[in-house]
Amino acid sequence: MPDMRFAPPNPIRIADRASGLNAVSVRSYNERLVLSLLLQNDGISRMEIGQRTGLSAQTISVIVRSLEKEGLVATGKAQKSRMGPPTIPLSLNPAGAYSVGISVGYKQTNVVLIDFVGSVRFHTTLPNPEPDPAINQTEFLETIKAAIGALPANTHDRIAGIGLALPEDQYELAHAPNGALERYESLREEIEAHIGIDVYVQNDITAAAGAENLFGAAKPLTDYLFCYLGARLHSRLVINHQIFNSQSTQSFDVGLLNLEARLQATGLEADVIWERSADWPDLGPAENDWQNACVAQIAQSTNALKQFVDVKTIVLSSYAPHKVCQNICDQLDDMLPDVTAIAGTLELSPKAVGAASLPFSSKFMVE
Amino acid sequence: MRSVLCFGDSNTHGQMPGGTPLDRFNPFERWPGVLRRELGPDWYVIEEGLSGRTTVHDDPIEGALKNGRTYLRPCLMSHAMLDLVIIMLGTNDLKRRFNQPPSEVAMGIGCLVHDIKELAPGPGGSVPEIMIVAPPPMQDDIKEWESIFSGAQPKSRKLALEFEIIADSLEVHFFDAGSVIETDPSDGFHINKEAHEGLGVALAREVEAIGWLNEV
Repeated sequence: MPDMRFAPPNPIRIADRASGLNAVSVRSYNERLVLSLLLQNDGISRMEIGQRTGLSAQTISVIVRSLEKEGLVATGKAQKSRMGPPTIPLSLNPAGAYSVGISVGYKQTNVVLIDFVGSVRFHTTLPNPEPDPAINQTEFLETIKAAIGALPANTHDRIAGIGLALPEDQYELAHAPNGALERYESLREEIEAHIGIDVYVQNDITAAAGAENLFGAAKPLTDYLFCYLGARLHSRLVINHQIFNSQSTQSFDVGLLNLEARLQATGLEADVIWERSADWPDLGPAENDWQNACVAQIAQSTNALKQFVDVKTIVLSSYAPHKVCQNICDQLDDMLPDVTAIAGTLELSPKAVGAASLPFSSKFMVE
Repeated sequence: MRSVLCFGDSNTHGQMPGGTPLDRFNPFERWPGVLRRELGPDWYVIEEGLSGRTTVHDDPIEGALKNGRTYLRPCLMSHAMLDLVIIMLGTNDLKRRFNQPPSEVAMGIGCLVHDIKELAPGPGGSVPEIMIVAPPPMQDDIKEWESIFSGAQPKSRKLALEFEIIADSLEVHFFDAGSVIETDPSDGFHINKEAHEGLGVALAREVEAIGWLNEV
């Protein structure tokens, strides 16, 4: 039998050193483990990676060097420590990879381009795709191209993919035009055919939970109840960073649709509540009533869940103004003394950012 | 206290460019000495540099004693326990008489890594950390050494990549000395005092980056 120690070397990580990203197939579990750790813990050292993963120092050395050469990981300046040798902090390189996220919402579609650490480099909104492609397919595809065009051409090979977050809530879809759902389902093929980049699809609420989990307020949290306040109120349970993706489509009518109805009942103009990144004017008692109903529903869900899981934290994600979310969280804190409610930090479009994180998860992270 | 063995050739021995093995930089100037200074009192730095040392070849001219592989095992045993072994070899394998491509030199380095792993001279019989250091490329003009090294210059520029491939395959640490220092023009393949200083400092940072628990 030949001595396999002296067979030709088989360096799976070094790959092509010219530039660009390695193919998906060669990214090992250990590399994904290191990248996932770096996403959760900016600035940890090689030794800390070893302590958390159980990988040997030599294995980590090889992986980190290769990720550095690929431009995915950056080495910081040595930090003097009081005891022992200085430590060298590692972090993800924001410009190492990019991703486009698209979320088809209740009123409109959001398109974002994010970098490797989740910063939004481009954001725009456009009307939802019409059931008849002839009406606005061109606008839709041109917007995706514009998102990609926000990057210099020489970095286009660093786009990991396009994520697409689609609604599944039957109550919300009931308001969409006939044939809209079928059109949404064909978007993946359309985008792949016209843009030529792989598209990853996910339920929009799960995507929003993923966004807060990876890049937002929930980053340091392991277990929590995730609430998404959109047209309706949706929830997801997150345990040990994993989003429990049930088939449940349960949602509650205490979202913006409910507020809209309350405002209209009092004869007030409701359009302002659907506008993003703007503070609402004083909407009077209707807003208070709505907020109370929303708080009561979240509290009820939390208490029901407490029979099974000791929920300590609620993360409330929404494109509604941060002030509104913070008010709801403050009320929840008062109502549930042993629970902390945190307002999400992704105000532009949690669903679209979550959609954009899908290619990253698929190509670089461990499940 | 931790121990590191610096296993190399004339550039670890500290031979002055354009000089003979007897023209040697002093212990504080040679890169293992710089490494000792940089790492501080927690580290015991052992110098094992022999002029003309190859990775795995008995030298038909200079003698079998230049074979790094046969010397490495007793050397590891003499100095056990070792926390880290740094190997910087390869230049002498490029001599005309050995007729080796860069990939074969890297295979020779690989042999040394396997031998260290097999002997396991680390704490408690473990495998120590191993760091392969690719020597800095030769200059095109290597003066009177041209006949001995004929054709070695372009090969020397490929050692870093081949060594890194071996380091990746065998999962050991790697450092490209050519990324921080150059060979001295006076003979085209030895490194001068400034380069020893630069290499010693750079390697100290690499050693620290491995990460070592405080209890020693």
